[in-house]
Amino acid sequence: MLSEEYLVQQAVNGNQAAFTQLYNQNFDRIHRYIYIKVRNQAEAEDLTQDVFIRALGSINTYKWRDLPFAAWLFKIAHNRVIDHVRKQAKEKRAPLEEAYARSVEDPIQMTERDYEVYQLKTALEQLPEAQRDVATLRFIAQLSIAEVAKTLGKSEGTVKALQFNATASLRKALRGKLDG
Amino acid sequence: MARKIEDIFNECYERIRSGESLESCLRSYPEYRAQLDPLLRTTFDIGRRSSYIQPRPEFRHWSRVRLETAQRYPRQPQQAPAATPMASGWLRHGWALAVTAGIIILLGTGSTMAASSNALPDEPLYPVKLATEQIQLAFAVTPTRQAEVETDITNARATELEAMAEQGKTEEAAKAAERYNAQYEKALEAIADAEGTTPQPTDFVPPGTATPSEFAIPDITAPPTPVTTATDNKTTTVTAPPTTEQPSTTAQPPSTTEQPSTTTAEQPPATTTQPPTTTTEQQPATTETTVTTQEEPATTGQPSTTTQPSTTSKDDSRAARIERMKKALDHSSDKSIAALTDAKDKALQSHKNDWQKAIDTVNRSREHRGRGTTSDNQTSTDNQTQDRSSWQRHDSHHR
Repeated sequence: MLSEEYLVQQAVNGNQAAFTQLYNQNFDRIHRYIYIKVRNQAEAEDLTQDVFIRALGSINTYKWRDLPFAAWLFKIAHNRVIDHVRKQAKEKRAPLEEAYARSVEDPIQMTERDYEVYQLKTALEQLPEAQRDVATLRFIAQLSIAEVAKTLGKSEGTVKALQFNATASLRKALRGKLDG
Repeated sequence: MARKIEDIFNECYERIRSGESLESCLRSYPEYRAQLDPLLRTTFDIGRRSSYIQPRPEFRHWSRVRLETAQRYPRQPQQAPAATPMASGWLRHGWALAVTAGIIILLGTGSTMAASSNALPDEPLYPVKLATEQIQLAFAVTPTRQAEVETDITNARATELEAMAEQGKTEEAAKAAERYNAQYEKALEAIADAEGTTPQPTDFVPPGTATPSEFAIPDITAPPTPVTTATDNKTTTVTAPPTTEQPSTTAQPPSTTEQPSTTTAEQPPATTTQPPTTTTEQQPATTETTVTTQEEPATTGQPSTTTQPSTTSKDDSRAARIERMKKALDHSSDKSIAALTDAKDKALQSHKNDWQKAIDTVNRSREHRGRGTTSDNQTSTDNQTQDRSSWQRHDSHHR
C-alpha cells in the first residue's frame, strides 16, 4: 500500500487520481466530523462537499512538512464549520437544540441508531468549545493526538488534558444511555 | 515523577485502538483502574454511536461526481463571463448537478429536458440546459466520449450565438460569443486528449494492484443496450505503463467474439435510472478483441465478428469520430462568423463596431488553431487546405 505521504505528493503534483484516493480515504470521517457539528444532514453534506472542493483548489499549495495531510484537511473542515455557524448565528436561526427538538418530537419514530447519534450530538454540544473540538476530532474523526494538536494549534499536552476532561463530561452526559 | 492521568488514559486509548483489550490496559495501571475503566468504556460508546453516521449513498455518489467535474474543469478566471450570473451561480452550487440528475432520472425524456435543450441564454430554462450539459460531461467516462460531448456543447453555444445574432441582440450576442469561445477551447483540449493513445486513469491504483471502484459513472448519453460483460471493477492504473498486465474487465475472450453484439470500452450501462454500479474505461489496445462501438455499429465495413484482436479497426473508428468532431467544430465557428457578419451588415452604423468585436472574439478561437479570418467573413473552404496541419499543430502543442 502506498504511503499517504506519497499519495499526497502525487496529488500536490497534479495527479487527480491520487487526490481522488485521498478523497476516498477521508470522505467518511470528514462527513462524520461535520455532521456531528452542524444542524442537520443537508448542511453536513453541503459542507463536506465544499471542504473537498476547497482542498482540491488549494492542494497545490500544500506542504507536507508544515502539517500532516489529515490535519490540513480537518483544518479546512473546522474553519468551514466555524464560518457556517457564525453565518447562521447572524441569520438568527434556531439553535441546535431547538432545531433538534422539533425534529425529534416523536423519538419513537426515529430509528434507535439515529436517536443514539442524536444523544451523542447533544452531549457534545454541552461541552465547552475547546473540549468539544478535541473530542470531535479525536473520537469522531479519529485523528491522532499530534494531528489534533496541529489542527487546533494547541500543544499535545493540552490536547490530552482536554481529551480527558471531555471524556469525563461525556460519560456524565451519556450515563445511563450506554448501550442504548 | 508520576505520570499524569490524562497521559495514561491517552496511552490506553491508543493501545485499545491498536487491538489490545481493555482488561490488558487496566492491568498495566491497577491504581487507576477505577478511573480509567468507565472513561475508556465511554470512548467505546462514542465510537459505536459515531460509526452510525454514514453518508447517504446518493450523496456519496454525487459528491464524487462533483469532485470529478471540478477536477476536470478547474475554475478559470477568464471563464467568468461564459455564463450568465444566474447560470453560473446555479452551477457553482454543488447540488445543481444532483438536482438536475434527479430531474433527468425522474422525467426521462420529459418536457423539461426537451424544453431546456433548446433554451437560449435569455430564457429561464437556460441554467437547466447548462447543468444538464455538465451532467452529460460527468457521465462521459472515456476521453473520446468526453470530446464528443464537448463538441456537442460547442455546437449548442454556436446555435445560441446564431440566434442572438439573428435577433439583433448585440449585448447577448457578445456574451454568447465569449461563451462560445471558452467552450471552443474546451472542445479543442478534449479532442487533443482523445487523440492520445494512453487510456485515462480513473482511479489511483498502485502498480501491480487493482482495487474496485466505489463509484462508476455510466454514460447516459449513449443508448441503453444489453450488457454482455459484468464489470464491477474499474482497474485502470495511474503509474503503470501501457504494457503492464491489467485484469481486463471489458475485453471479450476470443470465444465470445463471434457473437453479433459486441461491446467495447465505451460500453453504455444496462440502465440509466439506477445508481451506476458499473463502468468501463478505454483499455490498452492489447486487451481489446472487439472493434465497433454502439455509436458506430458497422461503419468500418469489416465484420464485427472478427476472431482476431483488431486494434487497427478500433483506432480507425476512433479516428473517424475525432475527424467528425473537428469538422463539427470548424462548422460551428464558420456558421457563428457568418451569423455575426450578417448581423453586422444589417446593424446600424453605430452598432457595427460592437458586432465586429463579437466577430473578433469568435475569430480568436479560430486563430488559436490557425483558422482565423479577416474581419469579413471568410468561408471555411479557404481554410480547409490548412486544416489538417493546423489541427496537428494544436495536437502537438497539447501533447
